Amino acid sequence: MVLDTFLISGLFHVVMLIGLALLLHLQLGLSRIANFGVVGFWGVGLYAFGVLYVRVDWPFGDPIQFVVCAALATVAAGLCGLLVGWLIADLDVDGVMVGTLGFATAVALLATTEQDLTGGALGMGGLRFPYDTGDVAVNELIWLLVLVALVAGILAYVWLVHRNPYGRLLIAIGSNEPLAKSLGKPATRTKLGLFTVTSALMGLLGAMYGVMVRFLEVSSLGIELTLAAVVGLVVGGSVRVLGAVVGVLLTVGVFDIVIQSYIPLPADWYTQTIPLLREVMFGLALILVLVFRPLGLLGHMRRDRLMKRIHGA
Amino acid sequence: MVPESTTTVRPELAARTAPRPRLTLANVVKSFAGRTVVDVEDLSLGNHPIEGLIGPNGAGKTTLMRLIMGSLKADSGQIRLERAGHRDVVLSRLHAHKIAQCGVVKTNQVITDFDGLTILDSLLLSVTPERREFPLHLMGERATYEEHRAEIERQLDHFGLENTRRLALSAGEKKLVDIIRCLLLKPAVLLLDEPTAGLPGEVTQKVMDAVDDLAGNGTTVVIIEHDLDVIWNLCTQVTFMAEGRVMLRGEPSEIREHSTVVESYLGQGHV
Repeated sequence: MVLDTFLISGLFHVVMLIGLALLLHLQLGLSRIANFGVVGFWGVGLYAFGVLYVRVDWPFGDPIQFVVCAALATVAAGLCGLLVGWLIADLDVDGVMVGTLGFATAVALLATTEQDLTGGALGMGGLRFPYDTGDVAVNELIWLLVLVALVAGILAYVWLVHRNPYGRLLIAIGSNEPLAKSLGKPATRTKLGLFTVTSALMGLLGAMYGVMVRFLEVSSLGIELTLAAVVGLVVGGSVRVLGAVVGVLLTVGVFDIVIQSYIPLPADWYTQTIPLLREVMFGLALILVLVFRPLGLLGHMRRDRLMKRIHGA
Repeated sequence: MVPESTTTVRPELAARTAPRPRLTLANVVKSFAGRTVVDVEDLSLGNHPIEGLIGPNGAGKTTLMRLIMGSLKADSGQIRLERAGHRDVVLSRLHAHKIAQCGVVKTNQVITDFDGLTILDSLLLSVTPERREFPLHLMGERATYEEHRAEIERQLDHFGLENTRRLALSAGEKKLVDIIRCLLLKPAVLLLDEPTAGLPGEVTQKVMDAVDDLAGNGTTVVIIEHDLDVIWNLCTQVTFMAEGRVMLRGEPSEIREHSTVVESYLGQGHV
C-alpha cells in the first residue's frame, strides 16, 4: 500500500478545518457570536494535551493515557470558553471579535513564554499515536480516519440542530436577542452553553492535531487557522449546514491539496511564497464573496424548505 | 395617588370578577441623560380586565412598558406582579426572560421579527418548552408541533394567516405574528404597544376580538394605542400619562372629557 504522507497530512488539515468551521457555524452562523479566537481554543486543547501527555508521569500508558489527556484538554478548552464567553456575554459584535482575538493572542504568548511547560519557541516533542502499526503512514491514515469520524459526528449534530427546537432557538437569539428574551428564552445562558461546548470541541480538534504532528510549534497558534476557518465558512455560506464543508473544500482544500500537491511549483516557493500567496488568495476569495454573494455560495438558510419537509406544506 | 374609578363602560367585562394578575409600580423612575422620562409614584394595573394607557408622544408610555418587561432597568422603584395562588414576584429584580417566564409578555411598537425564521418557526418558538430546547434534545420538533398544532391553527384561522412555511413579508404580517406569538404564550399579563398600528380595519377588529377573548379568560391586558376608538371601545379603565407621570386614571368616558386630556392631548374636536 503506497500512502502519500503529504496528502494525508493535507487531508487531515482540511478535515480539521471543516470541523472548526462547522463549530464556528453554530457560533457565528446561527448565534452570531463573532468568535475570531478559534485558534485560541484550539491551541488550549493542543497545548493542554501536549503538556499533559509529555510532562505528566501517568501510571498507565496508551490508549488510556491519550483518552485521559484528550479529555482533560477538551475540558480545559471548554473552561476557557466558559470564561471568555462570560466576559463577552454583554458585548456587541465588535467587542466579541476583539475579546476573542485577544484571548487567542494571550494563548499564543503564554505558549511562547512558558518554556518550561511548552518548550516555547523551540517546540515540544514526545507526542505519539495511541497505537502503533509499525508504519508511520498507516498510523497517520488511521488517525485521519478517526478525525473524519469525529468531524462526521459534528456534521451530523449540526444537521440535527437545524431540524430541532434548539437550532431554532439559536437562530432566534442570533437574529433578535431582545425579542427572544421577551418570549422567555434564556439567551445569555444559551449562548454561554453553546460557546463552552463548541470551544471544548475546538480544543479536542487541537488535541487530535497534536497527535498527528507529534511536535508542537507556537507558530501554529497564529491567526492563519482562524482566518482559514472564517474564510471557509463565509465563502461556503455561514448559515447553511454544508456551508462550512463546501467553503473549506473550495478554499483550503483547493489551495493546500490541489495546488500544492498537483501543480508543479518551483521548490523555493514552498518556504515563503506559498504561505503568502495562500493568504492573498483567501483574502481575495473573501472579498469576492462578500461583494458578489454576501451570504456565501450556498446562500440563504431556506427555513421555508426545511419547515415544509418536516411539517408538510 | 391618582383617584381610580370603579365604574365601567362595558358591563360584560366588569362581570368578569375573578381576581386577575396585577402589576403594581411604586416610585419607578427612569432618566436618560439627565432627563426624567418616567416618574410613576404609584400605579396598579390589573384591577380591570383591559386597561388603556394614553398620552402624547414622549409621555413615557412605551418606556414604562419596557421597564415592566425588563428590557430597560429602572433607576429606582419597584415593579411587582401579584397573582392569586402564586407568590408575589418583584419583576424589577428579574432578567427580561424571567419576567416573560412569569407570564408577563409584550407586543412591540416597532415592527420586529426573527430574520431567517419562517412564520411557523416563530410561532413554534413561542410554545416550545425549555426542556425541548436543550442542546442534546434533538428529536423534539415534530412532537412540539403536534402538541400545539390545534392552538396554532386556531390562531392562524382567526387572523386569516395562511402559508406559514415562509418568511413573514409585509409589516402587517410581522405585526400579526408578533401578536400571535404573545397570544400563544397564554400570558398572565399582556402588554400591547400600539397593536393595531398599520393594520387594516378588519384585522384590527380581529385583534380586538382576540384581546377581548383573552381578557375574558383571566389575562390582564394593558394597551397603548393612538387609535383612540380602540381605547374607548375596548378598555374599562384608562390611564393618561404626560411627561413621564400618571396624570389621570378613570373610566374612558371620564378621561375623554377631562379638560386636561382634551387640552393637552385630544384637542377640542374629540369632545
